Amino acid sequence: MIRLEHLTKQYPSGKGIRDINLQIPYGGAFGFLGPNGAGKTTTIRVLMGLLQPDNGGARIKDLDCWQNRTEVKHVVGYLPGELHFPDYFLGSEFLELMRRMHGGKFEIQNNCKQLAEHLDLDTKQSIRKMSKGMKQKLGIISALMLDFEVLIMDEPTSGLDPLMQQVFIDLILEEKKKGKTIFMSSHQFQEIERTCEQVGIIREGQLLTVQDINRIKQMECHTFEVEVENEEYAEYLHQCGLEVYRDKGLSFIIKITGNFDSLWQVLSGIKVKKFRQRFLELEEAFIQYYR
Amino acid sequence: MNRAFFGAMFRQQRPKLLKFSTGIVLYEGLLTWVYPLISKNSAVTDIVDSIPSTVKTVFGVSPKARADTFEAFISAQFLARIWSVIIALYGINTANTLLSKPIDEGSLVFPLSTPVSRTNILTTQTAVLLSCNATLIAATVLGLCVGTFWFRIRIRYSRYISLGTLALAFFSLISSYSFLFAAWAKDGEKASAYAYGLTFGFYALDVIGGLSKRSAWVGKFSIFRFFKPQEVLEGTFDPSRAIIGLTAGSILLTVITIRIFNESDLPL
Repeated sequence: MIRLEHLTKQYPSGKGIRDINLQIPYGGAFGFLGPNGAGKTTTIRVLMGLLQPDNGGARIKDLDCWQNRTEVKHVVGYLPGELHFPDYFLGSEFLELMRRMHGGKFEIQNNCKQLAEHLDLDTKQSIRKMSKGMKQKLGIISALMLDFEVLIMDEPTSGLDPLMQQVFIDLILEEKKKGKTIFMSSHQFQEIERTCEQVGIIREGQLLTVQDINRIKQMECHTFEVEVENEEYAEYLHQCGLEVYRDKGLSFIIKITGNFDSLWQVLSGIKVKKFRQRFLELEEAFIQYYR
Repeated sequence: MNRAFFGAMFRQQRPKLLKFSTGIVLYEGLLTWVYPLISKNSAVTDIVDSIPSTVKTVFGVSPKARADTFEAFISAQFLARIWSVIIALYGINTANTLLSKPIDEGSLVFPLSTPVSRTNILTTQTAVLLSCNATLIAATVLGLCVGTFWFRIRIRYSRYISLGTLALAFFSLISSYSFLFAAWAKDGEKASAYAYGLTFGFYALDVIGGLSKRSAWVGKFSIFRFFKPQEVLEGTFDPSRAIIGLTAGSILLTVITIRIFNESDLPL
């Protein structure tokens, strides 16, 4: 459905993306992670036909994203990363304009109402008076209301509160059930982990790795921080047979692969002052690429 | 052209268009009210006759033209200089609002994410700009017609319509190169600076060209030489060729702008 082949786009400043190869099948959901300036937005702009590749190409449904950029928009719902709405509109007027520019299908209007209810947005407000979070909701509605086969979203939950981030995840899961193909860039590991099957990491314009989230989960490795009450318990931890590293003082790092039974058994024999999981699963697996 | 986009963009321009039209019509009302009082005063006509032809040219009044007619009065007081500068600046500013600003701010990404081609988006914006110019020019001509009718000043309406058509062609050319700069520079400030700079350059050439016979050749490089309101209103200049030439220039510039816009990277 989405295919990037040797995709290269360099800006005059030297930044950009280099030789990106990627394939997302029909109904697949791909999460694109990477630090700021890594090339996520550039890749998305090429997919949306806003930038012409220097080399290689991007295709959606076998349509070239630059040569057939108008046709591509018949199948893609898009949420840009930087939302600068024409602010002289009411929210509803903007959505109506988008609906009409997409051919004015009646179903879009229905979708729009439902989405506004889900996201708790009053679309009758002037865009000028909307907060960043409200504008983000408006952008999400404008991308999802079209009910297109492909969704391309650049940092979709930026500016949303945790409750709305959850609502957004639920909406994306609904879209997935309908068989949509999703390409989503994000800084939110949890959001990618819960919605995507594949995840790619990009840094300094290069795609470092693409991995299957289920495989990562199977190999999942959890890291915990444990602080014990005295040296006696510290010694006990050292000899318990788990993968234990001393952090500082009476604090330890414990790494567990597989089930947690052995950890609970060890912890039941000692007095623990502090206990916390260090990272979420995906974040733990990928944080090294961010450094 | 996309109708939905046209409607939205024209609505955005409506308040500014209304303010400009109202201002122009009110000023015309004032001038047509004052004219009967002035025309009865022969001293005023003598003063106008005594002004050197160079000074008259600078103010856009034809040296050969009669000084005692409404056409000479309205051209000197409004149409030849004030009006042409107002409409030229309005055209550049509107072109900036319709193209460079949305590119600069990034709001153009929304229309570009719809299945409406870049060519279609640009032609729609051009249509909005032309409609705004046409509305403003129509308000000017209509204001003059109503004003002269009200104060019983006899005019030839057909000549005013000819002037309106010439003005539309002339200001469309200015708007067209403003659009070209917007598509090429992709930076609102730069695009405006180029468009304002070029227009004032043409204006200055026209003024310098009118100062003496020796500098008359300079004026030939200015597009303002095609815009002669007093001569059109007095029937001494047939604007047909100028209208065709200016329109052809606008079409050519629009085609180039579409090509540039279609081939450009738009990092929105």
